[in-house]
Amino acid sequence: MTVGPDEASEETGWVEAARRGDRQAFERLYSRYAAMVHGILLARVPRIDVEDLVQEVFLTVFRRVGALRRPEAFPGWLAAIARNRATDHCRRLPKTEPLSEDSAGEDPAETEAREILSQIRALPEAYRETLVLRLVEGMTGPEIAARTGLTPGSVRVNLCRGMARLKEMLGRRQSHG
Amino acid sequence: MDDRYLWDRTGPPDPEVARLEETLGRLRHRGQLPQPPRRRSFPPRRLIAAAAVAAAAVIVAAALGALWIARCDRGFEWRIERLEGEPIVGSTPVSQAARLPVGGSIETNGVSRARLGIGRIAQITIAPNSRVRLVRSRPTEQRLALERGKISANISAPPRIFFVQTPSALAVDLGCSYTLEVDEAGTGLLRVETGWVAFERGGRESIVPAGAVCATRPQTGPGTPYYEDSTPAFRRALGAIDSGSREAGDLSTLLSEARRQDGLTLWHLLAGGRGTDRERVRARLAQLVPPPAGVTREGVLRGDRKMLERWRGELDGMPLLPSEGLLRSFWRRLRFRLAAAR
Repeated sequence: MTVGPDEASEETGWVEAARRGDRQAFERLYSRYAAMVHGILLARVPRIDVEDLVQEVFLTVFRRVGALRRPEAFPGWLAAIARNRATDHCRRLPKTEPLSEDSAGEDPAETEAREILSQIRALPEAYRETLVLRLVEGMTGPEIAARTGLTPGSVRVNLCRGMARLKEMLGRRQSHG
Repeated sequence: MDDRYLWDRTGPPDPEVARLEETLGRLRHRGQLPQPPRRRSFPPRRLIAAAAVAAAAVIVAAALGALWIARCDRGFEWRIERLEGEPIVGSTPVSQAARLPVGGSIETNGVSRARLGIGRIAQITIAPNSRVRLVRSRPTEQRLALERGKISANISAPPRIFFVQTPSALAVDLGCSYTLEVDEAGTGLLRVETGWVAFERGGRESIVPAGAVCATRPQTGPGTPYYEDSTPAFRRALGAIDSGSREAGDLSTLLSEARRQDGLTLWHLLAGGRGTDRERVRARLAQLVPPPAGVTREGVLRGDRKMLERWRGELDGMPLLPSEGLLRSFWRRLRFRLAAAR
């Protein structure tokens, strides 16, 4: 799946309409970008807080979109808001040892997903965000590049290297388990 | 290594990537659109600043205008011009031109005439054997008293600034030219040539349009206005009704002789009258000039002023006379000042 100029042009129109307070345009932007924001946050903050933070990020966008001068800068601007919000949230979290989540009675697949996610979070930042967007949110490499403002080349490199590191970690875990 | 599947899902599926996609896919975003607060759309700052500057300018202009209006009573000079003979101001004959002070009077004898005026906005011609006194001269009120005789007034100032009082009624200019005469007994007659004049006394008001006349008597005040081209029978019946010497059949005569434009007379009888005759007058007026929607029989007979005024607006040649608010009053005074300054 690729992101073409038509989509970008359509999106610019939505951003301009959202700047004028058009709620329908805002809904369209949300539909397109909610997964990206969710992925950026999921790569950084505890899962239990992610949905609330997604809401906060979009409320911030709704309040501030009027000040965005270049509509075409919207994707990078939104990704930056999400990353900053995640950083603020982590800074405010109490400095305590996180309790391991009780997995008794939990769906084994859910438990496995949570464990893999914790492995991804252990990766360098450049890899973990790209991998979450690809493996959790189901975005393709070109979509990640278009939505986050990163170059396709960087995304492709991050995906390959991150995936290799993840496989290696998961392999080690299996051999230890 | 073939990374096409990892990159954009083309190429042969990588089993490890596919398994991770399936497992991690359950953590995917499934949230709901947040409900953003209702935004008030603010205009750009430059617009707000421009609006603020404009508002400030309007306030300053209004304040200066108010000061200018309130500043002086002087500047409204009633000038007297001799037309014929030797009119007298106080005890001094007027040879050419003079000023009439507040409280002062001008009197003409059988062979003299004079003109009294403020610039171009008010010209009063005083006929022989008349006496006129200047009662008040303010930006919002110019009041003369016609004690006897006849005047012809030509007013181009805004309505409700010029007043002429007679022994039995007050003529209020609504933008017009008219003649007014008063005899030794205090009985008066108003004849309107253009525009409208309100003839008032004790809360009773007759609106007299162009082409109509209205008498006034010391005991009863302004009568009912009528058009001079109405039938003699109509005028005779109205005279009997107005003077209180009405006989049986006078009202029937008046109603049967009434034409559409005589709705003026019927409306005033209806608005000022009492008793069972009002229903007959109302029914005839409704035939000649149907009332507008929302004006009901019950409301009219109850004396509902708003309904009566709406019906009056349907009469031929009648003005719309909205109630005067603060802004309208300010504007009227400002216009008068501007007119007087020319």
